[in-house]
Amino acid sequence: MKKLITGILLVVMMLSLAACGGDTADDDSSNTGAVYHVGVCQLVEHDALDAATEGFVDALEEKLGDAVEIEVQLAQGEPNNCTTIINNFVAGNVDLIMANATPALQAAVSGTDTIPILGTSVTEYGVALGIDNFNGTVGGNVSGTSDLAPLDGQAAMIQELFPEAKKVGLLYCSAEANSQYQIDVVTEELTKLGYECTPYSFSDSNDLATVATSAAENSDVIYVPTDNKCADNTGIIDNVCRPAKVPVVAGEEGIASGCGVATLSISYYDIGYQTGVMAAEILAEGADISTMPIAYAPSVTKKYNAEICQELGITIPDDYVAID
Amino acid sequence: MLEIKNISKTFNAGTINEKRALDNLSLKLDEGDFVTVIGGNGAGKSTMLNAVAGVWKPDLGQVFIGGVDVTKMPEHKRAKFLGRVFQDPMIGTAANMQIEENLAIAMRRGNRRTLKWFITKKERESYREKLAELGLGLEDRLKSKVGLLSGGQRQALTLLMASLKTPKLLLLDEHTAALDPKTAAKVLELTDKIVNENKLTTLMITHNMNDAIAYGNRLIMLSDGKLILDIKGEEKKHLTVESVLAKFYEVSGDSFADDSTLLG
Amino acid sequence: MNIDALINGLPGAAAQGLIWGIVAIGIYITYKILDIADLTVDGSLGTGGAVCVMMMLAGYSNGMSLAAAFVIGMVTGLVTGLLNTVMGIPAILAGILTQLGLYSVNLKIMGSRANTPINPNNYDLLVSLRNVKNVPFYENAIFITAVITLVIVAILYLFFGTEFGCTLRATGGSEAMCRAQGVNVEFNKVVGLTISNGLVAFAGGLLAQYQGFADVNMGRGAIVIGLAAVVIGEAIFGRIFSNFALNLIAMSLGSIIYYLVLQVVIWRGLDPQLLKLLSAIIVAIFLAIPYFKGKYFNGVILARHSGSEKGDAENAGN
Repeated sequence: MKKLITGILLVVMMLSLAACGGDTADDDSSNTGAVYHVGVCQLVEHDALDAATEGFVDALEEKLGDAVEIEVQLAQGEPNNCTTIINNFVAGNVDLIMANATPALQAAVSGTDTIPILGTSVTEYGVALGIDNFNGTVGGNVSGTSDLAPLDGQAAMIQELFPEAKKVGLLYCSAEANSQYQIDVVTEELTKLGYECTPYSFSDSNDLATVATSAAENSDVIYVPTDNKCADNTGIIDNVCRPAKVPVVAGEEGIASGCGVATLSISYYDIGYQTGVMAAEILAEGADISTMPIAYAPSVTKKYNAEICQELGITIPDDYVAID
Repeated sequence: MLEIKNISKTFNAGTINEKRALDNLSLKLDEGDFVTVIGGNGAGKSTMLNAVAGVWKPDLGQVFIGGVDVTKMPEHKRAKFLGRVFQDPMIGTAANMQIEENLAIAMRRGNRRTLKWFITKKERESYREKLAELGLGLEDRLKSKVGLLSGGQRQALTLLMASLKTPKLLLLDEHTAALDPKTAAKVLELTDKIVNENKLTTLMITHNMNDAIAYGNRLIMLSDGKLILDIKGEEKKHLTVESVLAKFYEVSGDSFADDSTLLG
Repeated sequence: MNIDALINGLPGAAAQGLIWGIVAIGIYITYKILDIADLTVDGSLGTGGAVCVMMMLAGYSNGMSLAAAFVIGMVTGLVTGLLNTVMGIPAILAGILTQLGLYSVNLKIMGSRANTPINPNNYDLLVSLRNVKNVPFYENAIFITAVITLVIVAILYLFFGTEFGCTLRATGGSEAMCRAQGVNVEFNKVVGLTISNGLVAFAGGLLAQYQGFADVNMGRGAIVIGLAAVVIGEAIFGRIFSNFALNLIAMSLGSIIYYLVLQVVIWRGLDPQLLKLLSAIIVAIFLAIPYFKGKYFNGVILARHSGSEKGDAENAGN
C-alpha cells in the first residue's frame, strides 16, 4: 500500500514536471551566455501590470540586449504565492528582482537585503514598506517607480469637466493595497474644491454591481482610483453608470477606456520602461540603488473616452486626447 | 428504577409525514427487571428507548430514573444513569481510538472530565481482566484501534463499556440485529451474563421473538405507540411464540400484519 | 534556472511549509479529529496576521503579538462553534459566515487598509524569508518554526491524552458513543474549533512576519492548502505513524512536501495559471486514496461512511 501511495505521489510530481516542460523553452539560461539574470514577480495579470512588465522587459533588452535574461512569474493574485516566487529568485541568486505591485515588493524586501529590488506599480513606497517620514528614497537595496498619477490634478479635472456637480462618489475595492491611500488624498483635494465626497467600497466583484448602483444613485460624478479590482471589472461599472447617466472619472487609462469619460493618465508602460532603465544602470553601470530616489511617471496626459462622452453629451476641452 | 409516565411524541407534527410515535405510554420497571421489548416496525420501540435516553424530549409526560425526574435533562447529563448499546455496531465505539481509550472514556461516564493524563496502570489491568471475561481475545489488544475489530467484537466491547460503570438502567436497541446469527447468539449470551452478574435493570428491544421469550423476566409488546402486552413472572417463563401471538390477537383483535419481522 | 536554484530554494520552501504545517495541524483538529470541515480558517489566518502585525507596529513584543493573534484566533473559532451548536447552523455554513464577516473585521484591525507592511529592516522579526540560509541556526526560520511546531505538537499531545482531550478525539469517531458516555458533544466541538482557529491565527502571525506583510487576501485558499497538507501527510505517513504526536508531525511534513512540490513547479516555469488546478488535483487524488483502498482492497466500506448515517437511523423515530 505504501508503495502504491508513494508511486502515485511520484507520478503526480512527474506529471507536473512534464506538463511544464513545454513552457521552459526560453529559460535554459546556462547556454545563452546571459550575464545578468533578472526575476520579475507580478502579483496578478491585468492590463496595467502587464504593460509595466512589458515596458520593463523592453527597456532592459534595449539597453543590455542578449546580456540579460528575464524570468517573469505571476502570483495569480495571491500574496502567499509572491513569497514562494521570491524564494525561488533568491535561491537562484538572480542579479536583480523586479517586483510588480505592492505585495510582490513586500515579499521581495522580506526575502533579501542584498539583491537589488526595483518595484513598480506601487503607489506610495512609504506606505507599502512602513517607512515613517518617507523622503522619496527608500535606501538599502530597494528603489523603483510609482504609479501615482497626480491626485490633485485628477481632482482639478473633475472640477474642469463638471463644475456644476456637487456630490462625488468614490468607488474602490477595500482589499486593494493602494486604493485607500488614493481615496484619502483625493477626498482631501475634492473637499478643498467644495465637493461632497462619499466613499463606496466593495470587497470583491460579487458586491461590485450593488455598490456601484448605490454610488450611481447618490452621486453626480463617480471617481475610480487606480485599483486592480476595478480595472478587472470595468464592464460591471459601465453597465451600471452609463444607463444612470453618471459620468466616471478614472485614475488610470485602462479603467477610463472601459467605463470612464476621462482620466489624467500615466502610462504603466512608461513607468515599467523607466524601471527597466534603472535596472540597466544598476546592473551594467554600477549605479548605487541605495541613493536612487523613487521615480514617477515622466508625463501625464489628459485623455477622454470618446464613445461614452458622446453618449452622455459631455463636451471635452481641446487639450484632451481621445483614448484609442 | 425506571418510570415512564404518560409520554406522547409526534414526529413531523403538522406535515404530511406526521407520525404519532408514542401515545400516552406508561411503563414502570422494578429494580433488576430484565425486560424484552417486541413490536412491529413503527410500533414505537426505539422511540420509547430514545425518550428514556434523552435523544429528544417528549411532547407530553415524564420520565423518572431511580426516582429522579430526567424529562428535561439533556442526553449527555442523563448518560450517568444509563448504559446504551445501539443497533449499528459502528457507532457505539470510536473507531479512531484504542480499545483501552474507549474503555477509559466509558469508565468516566458521569464524572467531570478533567485535564488529568490517563490511563493508569491499575486501570489498564482491570480492563484486561474485563476483556478476558468476554472471551474474544481482546485482552491482548488493548492498544489496537477499535476500527480494526469485527462488528461482533465492537458490539461486545460496547456492551462492556455500557456496563463498566454500573448503570441504573441498561438500554439495548436491537443490538444484535446487524450481526450474523452465530455472532448474534454469542453477543446475546454475553448480554445475559453481564446483566445477571451485575443485576442490571435492562430494557432490550429485539426483532426476534424467540430471543424475547428466552431472555429476561418480563416481556412487553408495543403497537402504534401503545403498550399492548405486559407479561411477567411465572407466565413469562412458560411463554411460546404461539402463545404470544394468541395473546396479541386477543388484545388487538387484529391479525399480525408483519409476522415475519416478529419471528425473525 | 538550473538545478542549483532548486536546491537553494528548498530551505525557503521548507520554512514556508513548516508555517503552513501549523495551519495544517489546526485543520487536522477540525477535519480529522472532530470530523468538521471548518472554513473559518480562510478568515482567521488573515486575522492572525493582521493582529500580529498591528500589535508589533504598536510596539508590543513579538511574543505578545503572537499570543494576541492566538487568542483572537480562538475567538473566531468560538464564533463559528457557537453559530454551529447554539444557533444550529450547519458547520460548513457557520465557517463560511464567520470567514465572510472576518473580511471586514480584518480590514478594520488594519485600520481600513488592505495591506500592512512589517518591514524586516525596522522590526525584530521572529521568522523572515531572509533568514533561511547563512544565518546562525538559532535565527534560522526553519529551526525556529520547527521548534515552535514541536512545542505545539507536545502541548497538543499532552492535551489530547487527558480525560477531556480524549473525549474530543472520540467526538469525531462517534457522536452517538460520546453522548451515550455522557460527553457534551456540542461543547467539545466548540472547544475543538476554538483551539484549531487559535493555531491557524498564530500561524497567520508567523506567516505575516515571514513574508513581511499582512494582507486582507492572505487567507484566501488557506483551507485548500491546509487540507492538501493534511491529506498528503495522512496518505504518506498515516500507515507508518500510529502515535498521535507523530500524526501531528505528519501534517507538518505533508505541508513541507506540498511546498516542495510547488517550488519544483515554479522552478520548472509551469504556467502559474495551472497552479490552482494542480493543487485541486493533488488534493482530490489524496482524498480518493483511502476511499479506493477501502473499496477495492479490503472489500469493506469505511467505518466513517456507515457512521455518518446514524443520524437518519435515529431520526426515523421508530
